[in-house]
Amino acid sequence: MLKARSKKILLIEDEELILNLLQRKLEKEGYKVSIARDGKEGLEKMIKNPPDIILLDIVMPRMDGFEVMEEVRKDKNLKMIPIIIISNSGQPVELDRAKKLGARDWLIKTEFDPKEVITKIKQQIG
Amino acid sequence: MKQETKKKNITQELKEMTEIQEKDTYFALLNILEDIEEARIRAVEEKNKTLAVITNFTDGLLVFNKENKLYLINPVAERFLSVNAEEIVNKRPYYLEKFPWFEPVKVFLKDPAKKIFRKEIQINKELTLELSTVSITREQESLGSLIILHDITREKLIEQMKTEFVSLAAHQLRTPLSAIKWTLKMILDGDLGEMTKEQKDFLEKSYVSNERMINLINDLLNVTRIEEGRYLYSPEPVQLEDLTEETIKNYKEEIERKNIKFHFEKPKNKIPALKLDAEKIKLTISNLLDNAVKYTLPGGKIDVSLKSDKEKATFLIKDSGIGIPEDQQKRLFNKFFRGANALRIETDGSGLGLFIAKNIIEAHKGKIGFESEEDKGSTFYFDLPFKAEKY
Repeated sequence: MLKARSKKILLIEDEELILNLLQRKLEKEGYKVSIARDGKEGLEKMIKNPPDIILLDIVMPRMDGFEVMEEVRKDKNLKMIPIIIISNSGQPVELDRAKKLGARDWLIKTEFDPKEVITKIKQQIG
Repeated sequence: MKQETKKKNITQELKEMTEIQEKDTYFALLNILEDIEEARIRAVEEKNKTLAVITNFTDGLLVFNKENKLYLINPVAERFLSVNAEEIVNKRPYYLEKFPWFEPVKVFLKDPAKKIFRKEIQINKELTLELSTVSITREQESLGSLIILHDITREKLIEQMKTEFVSLAAHQLRTPLSAIKWTLKMILDGDLGEMTKEQKDFLEKSYVSNERMINLINDLLNVTRIEEGRYLYSPEPVQLEDLTEETIKNYKEEIERKNIKFHFEKPKNKIPALKLDAEKIKLTISNLLDNAVKYTLPGGKIDVSLKSDKEKATFLIKDSGIGIPEDQQKRLFNKFFRGANALRIETDGSGLGLFIAKNIIEAHKGKIGFESEEDKGSTFYFDLPFKAEKY
């Protein structure tokens, strides 16, 4: 299997379980994964070491996904990085708001499966 | 002398007879007066008793006489409406006119046939009441009207707490269910190595079970959103025909597998765009289709059709399935209700599908209904009006 040439993914998610599962799968696919457990940590990490793509949870302590996206929009370098949000509810209200803030795609926590995640990531960064 | 004595005797007799008669009349009159007095005292006692009941009644009471003037208002009603009896009793109820809910009450006072039964009224943030009207009549003649105000603030609060609890619990359950879905999928996809067929079959059963739980949680969350009034998203003009076709596609496989004769009758004239929450209407069509497919035996028939007139668009789905027993039809749209014959065919099913569908259609100011005969089949339909006041 051709290794996805070590593209960097920043995974920002507060739920330990989901974090672990996603990280395992992505690393198995050959991606380099760094993690953050809330919005603030996520922002710090993406500034220090800009990833190729960001997987961003919405509901998080300290700083949620929407607040992260609002900060990212202000920075001309950060806003070039594709963001896929991870929605808990899948409600159109949430997805629409994310789209307006610049999210390129979305995943719904209770519905997504490993294949879908990889497909959507590949669509953004190959 | 004999004649004189006779005369004397007769006069004496007459005198005695009259005296007796007078005495009788006198006593008779006395008795009547006593009875009247007793009746009067009893009437006053009754009135006092009734007044005591009304005054101490724990619901608010307003009594209007047959001229629709406010005759009596009890202390609880005074408290509910923040008003003093003196201000409004015996005056035309202009004080009550400031309340928006008084309109239908006025209508009722004029026409007792238009009665109100347990209408919810929010007075302010801390007080929600239930209003009922009672017509006081005697031998078809109206003597007045009674308005009853019942405090349901606590009931509303409990309802709200229940909804919040279900919402919270359902949200918490989503994460572990997600994790199970994910890990099972990875194993089934072969990411963790080869499996025997038997292992794969078993794990697939787990996966399917887990999917059912996820669907149930989603349904529960939808129900709580409906109850909290957070359900409808902003409607946009949509083509009902497109929504129907898209939804049908999802069921094509199962329809073929069950060898069901399926026909979609497209509308003769193009249906104008409707302002809808597309996702929720798709969900409604999906629920109806799901039921039709689930409860129609292999080899059966399902017909879907769309039509419209000047006022509304109608979606209709007719199946030749197991139908709904007549004694269960009334409860069909209730939360968690599942027909006895449906349960025999498939124990799985949340019983929330039709409840959610009804809420969605009614939130669009439409109507949903059905006709059904056990073992013959069912026809479900819903109407969506073109002109709806804002949701």
